[in-house]
Amino acid sequence: MENNFDSSNQRKLNCSDASKCFKLLESILDGQADLESKAVLDEKLAKCQPCFEHFHLEKVIREVLKTKCTKQLVPVELVDSIRQKIQDLK
Amino acid sequence: MSEVQRKKYSDKDKNSIFDQEFMPHIDSMYNFAYRLTFDEDDAKDLVQDTYLKAYRFINSFEKGTNAKAWLFRILKNSFINEYRKKSKQPSKVDYQEVETYYNSDNVDYNMTSDLRVDAVKDMLGDEISNALNSLAVDFRTVIILCDLEGFTYEEMAKILDIPIGTVRSRLHRARNLLKEKLKAYAQNMGYDTEEE
Repeated sequence: MENNFDSSNQRKLNCSDASKCFKLLESILDGQADLESKAVLDEKLAKCQPCFEHFHLEKVIREVLKTKCTKQLVPVELVDSIRQKIQDLK
Repeated sequence: MSEVQRKKYSDKDKNSIFDQEFMPHIDSMYNFAYRLTFDEDDAKDLVQDTYLKAYRFINSFEKGTNAKAWLFRILKNSFINEYRKKSKQPSKVDYQEVETYYNSDNVDYNMTSDLRVDAVKDMLGDEISNALNSLAVDFRTVIILCDLEGFTYEEMAKILDIPIGTVRSRLHRARNLLKEKLKAYAQNMGYDTEEE
């Protein structure tokens, strides 16, 4: 077991159940998990290097998507055009 | 969309619902439409058609419920039924990826990426946006709904008419594909993406 630890931060270098862990991590990042799962998350991040890395990569990807995929500006005439068409329907 | 007219709103009610519950979502609706069609005119038409349908079927909308999800569902259905065929799809869609990832129910979560957090942080908006736009439409859609618009899995399941489990697995596959694209960008930028 000795070489399954990173000496600098005492995290396991291999995750024994990465499939289940990663699924949980992704649910938490998507805001789907309950408080109990979040407690499990804290433990994982403290003790498991693959979980720690996966979590932070997934987190930053969500952040850049949200902040860097800027919204297209709505063409100014669109709102007026919709309102006009609604008037015509009435 | 249900055509059952549950109740009749007065004209005043209709206008108030339309102005206060529907119109505030126009930015998100246009952005979704643009990222589906990649064409300003198609996006405008799609949003306009969606709002006209929303008004026409306003009696099947329950006041105070999730208007944004309701509108997104109409827009998504309009896109599939009327625009998908004629819209300008990106020239480079990797159908092999779609075949490999899309047509299996089991998702392997045990897949690590050697993409680096720092490399992702340093990417420009254009690179992120281009990577997203290069995904096949079904994968692009779940990422837009979840990450750009903040819908829950349950809301996404209703918007897309698919089970929650499928939302979860499609999202996971979409993000894996996105990571592959971002990794290619990272390598072009000279980032070392190999494990140390």
